This record gives sequence, C-alpha cells and structure tokens, in this order.
Amino acid sequence: MSQRNGTIRLEVRNVIKNFGGLQALKGVTLNIEGPQLVGLIGPNGAGKTTLTNIITGLLKPSQGQVWFNGKRIDTLRPYHIARLGIGRTFQVTRAFRRMTVLENMLAPGLVKHPYMSRKELEKRAYEIMEFLTIDHLRHEMGGNLSGGQQKLLELARLLMLEPDLIILDEPFAGVHPKLQRTIYDYIQRVREQGKAIILISHDMESIFTLSERLVVLNFGEIIADGPPEEVKNDPAVIEAYLGKEEEDEFI
Amino acid sequence: MKFRRIYILWGLTGIFLLGLALYPPLVGLQPYWILVGMTALFYAILASSWSLLAGYTGQFSFAHMAFMGLGTYAAGILIRDVGLKPWQATIGGILITGLVGLVIGYLCLRMRAVYLALFTIAFAEIFRLVVKAEVKFTGGPNGLEIPPYTIPDALQAVFRFFIPYWDANPYVPAYYFMAVLFFVSLLFMFMLVRSRFGIFFRAVREDEEAAAALGVHVVNTRVLAFVVSSMIAGFAGIVFHHFIGLIVPDQMQIGRMSLIIAMAVIGGSQNLIGAALGAIFIHFSLEWLQSIPLPVAVLQQLLFLEDIGFSVDLNAGVLRTNAWRMVGFGLLLMLTLRFWQNGLISPVLDWLARREAAETVAQRFQAERDMDAIDDVQAITNPAEAGNPSSSSEPAS
Amino acid sequence: MWPIPDILLDINFFQITSSYIFRLILEGLLIGIIYSLMALGLTLIFSVLNIVSFAHGEFYMIGGYVVYVLLTRFKGMPGLVGIVVAALVTFLIGAVFERLFLQPMAKGKVDRPSEYAILVTFGLSFFLQFVLLGIMGPFPKKAPRFWSFPPIDLGVIRTTKATLFLGNIPLSGGRIFAAIIALLALGAMLWFMFRTWTGWALQAVSQDRNAAAVVGINPLTMNTLAFALGAMLAGLAGAVLVTVFSWVPWVGVPASAKSFVIIVLGGMGSIPGSLVGGLILGVVESLGTGLFPDPARAQAYRDVFGLIIFALVLWLKPTGLFGREL
Repeated sequence: MSQRNGTIRLEVRNVIKNFGGLQALKGVTLNIEGPQLVGLIGPNGAGKTTLTNIITGLLKPSQGQVWFNGKRIDTLRPYHIARLGIGRTFQVTRAFRRMTVLENMLAPGLVKHPYMSRKELEKRAYEIMEFLTIDHLRHEMGGNLSGGQQKLLELARLLMLEPDLIILDEPFAGVHPKLQRTIYDYIQRVREQGKAIILISHDMESIFTLSERLVVLNFGEIIADGPPEEVKNDPAVIEAYLGKEEEDEFI
Repeated sequence: MKFRRIYILWGLTGIFLLGLALYPPLVGLQPYWILVGMTALFYAILASSWSLLAGYTGQFSFAHMAFMGLGTYAAGILIRDVGLKPWQATIGGILITGLVGLVIGYLCLRMRAVYLALFTIAFAEIFRLVVKAEVKFTGGPNGLEIPPYTIPDALQAVFRFFIPYWDANPYVPAYYFMAVLFFVSLLFMFMLVRSRFGIFFRAVREDEEAAAALGVHVVNTRVLAFVVSSMIAGFAGIVFHHFIGLIVPDQMQIGRMSLIIAMAVIGGSQNLIGAALGAIFIHFSLEWLQSIPLPVAVLQQLLFLEDIGFSVDLNAGVLRTNAWRMVGFGLLLMLTLRFWQNGLISPVLDWLARREAAETVAQRFQAERDMDAIDDVQAITNPAEAGNPSSSSEPAS
Repeated sequence: MWPIPDILLDINFFQITSSYIFRLILEGLLIGIIYSLMALGLTLIFSVLNIVSFAHGEFYMIGGYVVYVLLTRFKGMPGLVGIVVAALVTFLIGAVFERLFLQPMAKGKVDRPSEYAILVTFGLSFFLQFVLLGIMGPFPKKAPRFWSFPPIDLGVIRTTKATLFLGNIPLSGGRIFAAIIALLALGAMLWFMFRTWTGWALQAVSQDRNAAAVVGINPLTMNTLAFALGAMLAGLAGAVLVTVFSWVPWVGVPASAKSFVIIVLGGMGSIPGSLVGGLILGVVESLGTGLFPDPARAQAYRDVFGLIIFALVLWLKPTGLFGREL
C-alpha cells in the first residue's frame, strides 16, 4: 500500500441528469479537496448511485461538468477515469467469478504497472489480501467466495489500482459483522494513507463515526453539507430524510 | 516422492508430443493418413484460436473460417498479381487479415457480444458469395491456386538428417510444417493468455463494467483478442493451403465454421488445449464414421437407411454415413452445451492441473459456514439496529 | 485527369429509365414484405426471450422443404395446405427446441446464459442443416408453381398465367403471390399481438417478466409460444418463397443474415423497426442489384448491400432506427 503524492481535487459542477422524464440529479455541485472522508447519504432514489456513476463515467451527465485534478472527466470513458485515479466499488458485488482471487487482484495491478515483474506485483497483492483476511483464498475462484468475502475481494482489488479517490457504494451491506469490522478498519487505514474517500452507506452508525464531512442528497439535490454533528441536527435533513423512510434501514 | 496429479498431465503431454512427432511412421507413411493428420492439426489451430476469442473474452466470431480464407486468398493474389515470394505473401496475407479484423472489431465490439456474432455470420456468408462470383479475381468456384513454398536445400538437408523418411512423399514435409505451426501457435496463445492481456481478456468477459472501473480498456482488449485470433486463423489457412496447392470458396462454408465451433465447444472452449484436442478427436472420428465397416448381414438389414441419405456398400462391406455423421456432432454440440458447459476434455485437464485442490475444498466449506453465520447473526441483530439515527431525532416528524 | 474506371463504362445507361427504377422499387417492396415477416419472427423472439435465434434461417429452409416435399409427393394438393403444414411443422420444431434447450436457461439452470443462447441456437442451425442435407441431398430443388393468375385485362393491369403487367412493367407472379401471403400472415400476426389476450401477455412478458408473472401470466409458456411463433414466421417466409428460388440445405444462411441486418437496422426488439427495416432492405437490395454494372455478378452482390447497411448502422447508430437508447 503505497503513499500517494500530489493533490486531490474533485469538482462536480452543477450536474443534471435526466432519465426520460425523470430528473435524477437537479444541479448537484460538490467539491472535494485534499484527503478526507466524505459520507454521502440520502434515502433510496435520492441519486447517490447516479452521482457515483457520473463521476466514474458509466453515465454521462445531461448538463454540467465533472473535473478531477484539473482535468475535465465527464467526457471520458470509465477506464480512462479509473486510470486517472478514481476507483469505485459497486453496490452489488462484482468479483470476476471465473478468475482466482489472485487473478482478480492482478487485473488492476497490471493496469497500473504493466511492466512490473509478476513476483513484485503478487507480493503487493498478498500484502493487501492479508490485511483484508482473504490471503488464504488466493487460488479459489471468485465465484466460490461467500458474499462478504467477495466484498472484501472487491475492496482489495481496488487498492491494486492505487487510486487517489475511492468511492465505496454500500460496503457494509449484507456482510457478516466480523467482516464489517475488517472493512471499517480498512476504510480508516486507507484514509490514513492520505486518500480521499466517498462513502455511501445506510449504516448510520459507521457513517457518522467515520465521516469527516457529510453530504445529504434528497430527490437529486444536496440539502446539507458539513461536519456530521451539524448535519445530524439540520432540520431540513431530519424532515426530508430521517422522518419518513423508516423501512429504509432494513435494506 | 509424493504422487501428484500433475505428473499424469506431464506424462500425457509427453505421449501426445511423441505421437505428434512420430505420426507419419506410425501410419506407415500412407499419404492419405498423413493428410488426415495434417488436416486435423489445421482444424486444431483453428479451434483453439477460436477459443482464444470465445472462451477467454466471451465473444463469438462466426467468421473464423472466412478470415482463414481471406488470408489465404490475399496471399494467393499477392503471389499471382504482385509477384511476391510465397513467404512474403504469407506475411502480407496475415497483415491483411489483421487489418480487416481490426475494422470489424472496432465496428462490433463496442456493443454486446451478440452484435459481433450477428455481423460476422453475415460477413462470412457474403464474403464467400463474393469470392465465388469474382471469377476473374479469385478463380470463382474452381478456386485459386496457391503455389508451394520452396524450401532451401540446406534446410532440406538438415531435415533429412533428423527425419530419415523426409522424402518418402510430399506430405511428410507438409505434415511437419503443420505440426510446427500447431506447436508454435499454441505456445504463442498460451503465453498470451498467461500475460497481462490474458487476465484482461477474462476480466472483460466476467464483468465489463467492473473491468472498466478498474482501468481495463474494454474495447481495445476485445479487439486485440479478435485480431490475434483472426490472424492466427489466416496464418494457419495460408500455410495449410500452400501445401494443398488450392483454395476453394466452399472451404469457407458456414458448415465448416459450425464444425470448428463444435470441435472447440466439445473439447472445451475455456481451455486452448482442450479445444485443440477436441478438434483432433472429432476430425479422426469423422474420418472413421465416413465408412463404418459392418458385416454384410447387418448391412442388408440397414438398406432402408438409403432412403434418408446413407449409402450401403455391400461389396466393400461398409455403411457410408455421408451428411449424417455431421448431424451426430451437431447433436453432440447442443448436448455438450446443455449438460457439460465446460466441454468434455477441458475439465479433465483442469482437474489434472489444479493446484492445492484439497485446501480449496476445505475453504469452500468454510465459506458456506460463514454464509450460515451471516444469516443467523442478521436475524438476531437487525431488529435492534433498525432505526438507528432516527432514535436521536424522533420529534422532527 | 483520372481515367474513367472500367466498371463505370460497363453500366448500360440506356437501361436506366424511370420505369426501370420504378420496377426495381416495386420488386424491392414485394420481397421486402417477406423480409419483414422473417424479421418480425426474430424480433418477437428477441423481445420475449431476449436472445437472437441463430437458427432462424434454418426454419425458413425447413418451411420451404416441407412445401416442396408435399407438392412433389402429393400431386394436385392445394398449395395453401402445404403452407399451413409448413407453418405447423416449424412451429412444432421451435416449441420442442425451446422446451428442451432454452427453458433450462430461463429457469437459471445454465451458467453464462447469454453465451449459451448464442451457441445453442447456432448448434441447432448446424444440426438442422445437416439433417436436411442428409434427407434432401445437396442438389437444388425447386417447387412447382401451384397457382396462376386469373386472366385480367384492365388496360393498366394485365396478367398472363405467371406474370402481372403494371403498364409495361412486368412483375414476377411468384413474388406477388408470396408477398400477398406474407402480407396476410403479417396482418394476422399483428392482430394477434395487439388485439388478443395472448398477444398482450406476450408483450407484457417482453416488458417486465416479473410483473407479468405477478398478474398470472406464465413467462415460461410465453417463452415457448414466442419462440415457436418466431420460428413459424420464418417457416412461412420459406414456404412462400420455395416456388420462387431454388432450395438447398444452406439456403437459410443468407436469409438469416438478412434478418439480422433488418433487426439491427430497425432496432433490436422493435416491431415497427422490423417492418420498416425489411422494406428498406428489400428496396436497397433491389436497386443496388438492378443498377449494378455487371449483370453477371449482380446477384452475388445482392447481399453485399445488406452488409453495407449493417456496417453503417453499427458505425453511426448502433441502436438502430427505432431502438431504445442504451
């Protein structure tokens, strides 16, 4: 796990996204500067995943721009954005099912360091896998892992890309409590390495303790942005988000 | 020393390579059987290069035979009209195949897998019809002559030294060239799938979006696989037809393409070697099934089969199966897909080559126990955890 | 100055008159209706099962052979009976194949369903081609003509037994007959799709399988029905064309290539797309072939125009004319 250098600067400038008649994002502006852990919350359908997909290039914004480290990225393809240093996980785990855990790790590693010796790369992979407690599974097929293990694999795989900004979409969902602890430690450790993290989660306890800054999205708009303590007591947030979506917590 | 399954694999590999090297004397240097062996190797190269695309990237090209023909026709025309030497034309033909593959690849591989399949099937059929119609340029249905390679005398002398029966008949050198090509192209593909590109191929096959999110260029990766696979087909076609001396458009029939696919799938397209072995096995089976020797008494009972296209040859004492032998393999192809999706040969190879098998089984059990534990824990903890943040700010609503 | 290429000198400019162009367009529309019928079958299969059937051309081929066999074995049998039997046979083969090989996929018993669907339907085409090669042999067959025009002379429209004259434009009767049957089949099919409960059920499944299942439609039954109907439409197209073209076991390959061009041109899964796409392809082919400089090679280039359309659509608008944006 290498230390990063240089600045991190993500700017989402007034992004609008329409799906047919539905406006999923209504002019979102978000700046992330320097290493920090930003929690992104909001009820289902608030546009969190849409925003993630726009930042990582899976969707093109209908209007507005996204800039990363002084480069406009909303026109770029996903692979290009990933190479610039934005990594992500998916809400539903997407391990490469017919590849071994080690091969899963090597794919992004070889993108980042195409000419590095396989031995050196495997050594790095082992370090990360060891930390995430999946090193004993290295020759197992991705598809044979349990749901929680697949999630760990996805997080491990992400670090091989050595991104500056990491977007974690629901890392705690459907994971064994013991593994949740591992993921929690992982997020803290990655943060300490000086990376920026956007954490999307329904697990309020973790998000309140981990985040340094909390952004609340509702119906495609940012309704609050600030330190967690402040946001927690913001009346708009309480009304729009916490008040009505009780059943949300079960998902 | 502890016995490991991998030793069986090494042993089988040794026997196979020995058989490959000694095949001509083993069949008594009969030209017919040497030709059969050579054709089997030709199909083996085609089947395994098709698997490189299908098994490793999950894309299906039905124009593999068309690319084979494209390369061969290009080489033939380069020799006839441009006046290149055969070996120069070989390189030229491969490059032209790659160029056409590049264009088709970028056209189709941006979309889902089915688009490449749709386009290549149309391309293959139409290319064949055009070749058949352009009589002036390609020789039309009668085919195009492909002049043989001239092998330098010094090289011939070396071969003669190592292979005493080198001059027994012209098929012997041809066979050995094909065998070397088979070996080299498999080695090349094997190295390719072990390289970073092989990992990218499979990552893209497994999950296109996840691979892109990890920085893999999806389209380029697929195009690379498609172009390499097509170029190998072109190469194999050029070399094979240099020894046959003639290529006809019907070599590119969709029926031949189906046969290549059947070979690869029945062998197992996830594994290059599996596909190649499948091709060799099926080619020899087809050869045997062409005329099945049976006692005359049995044959007389089978005369009714003549009504549906078999021929019963009472004088020679054989049942000729004509088109029906292919029907059998069509059925086998469908059944293999349905019940043994990894093919019939590849799983055996994978089993023999599998590392640390005992450990992985144990881990699978561990994973299942984890899953059970998750279910249990969730059932207990979920009610308590629900509504966590709202508990601190209840009055708002 | 560039010299004029030889190929342009070959064009017989005297031949190109407005009535010649008009005739080409008419012929294109006539054959285009049959293309539409075939493509509609493929669209139906795609929209309900979400797969492309690579054996579509083989159902076309079988439809033709059924009519051929019936007409040559039972002399004096009405041709329409042959067409109905061809439809039934292809419907049954389609249904049986769907039950045996595609239903396990819909039930989730097969790994990598999208790869499986491509290969297994291709396997079926391989199988059917060689079965028919075994039974019918490799030599071209042509079914006898089983109808003739009533003698009409209305000045503008005149008929002989096998030809219809529109003014001075002769139109092949076989194609007109085929187009009329295809038009009737198209109409019946569209009526079925949009005006009957079963048709609505098919559409419901194509839009949302789960929602359809909730309201009591069995998606598996609809899958079988859609595949069988799709196969039947291809069979019908073959049955009406067997008197026009000569028939060999691999006659279905260019036919399915044409259907693929049409569904990509019209947009995968779009019913209006397959109808319009069929007509466009028919006209483009007819014009391209009719105006091709060298008549000896023109027929071979007939299919090339389809391939060019295919490439252009993939390049410029992969979603096709009526396709949903991805």
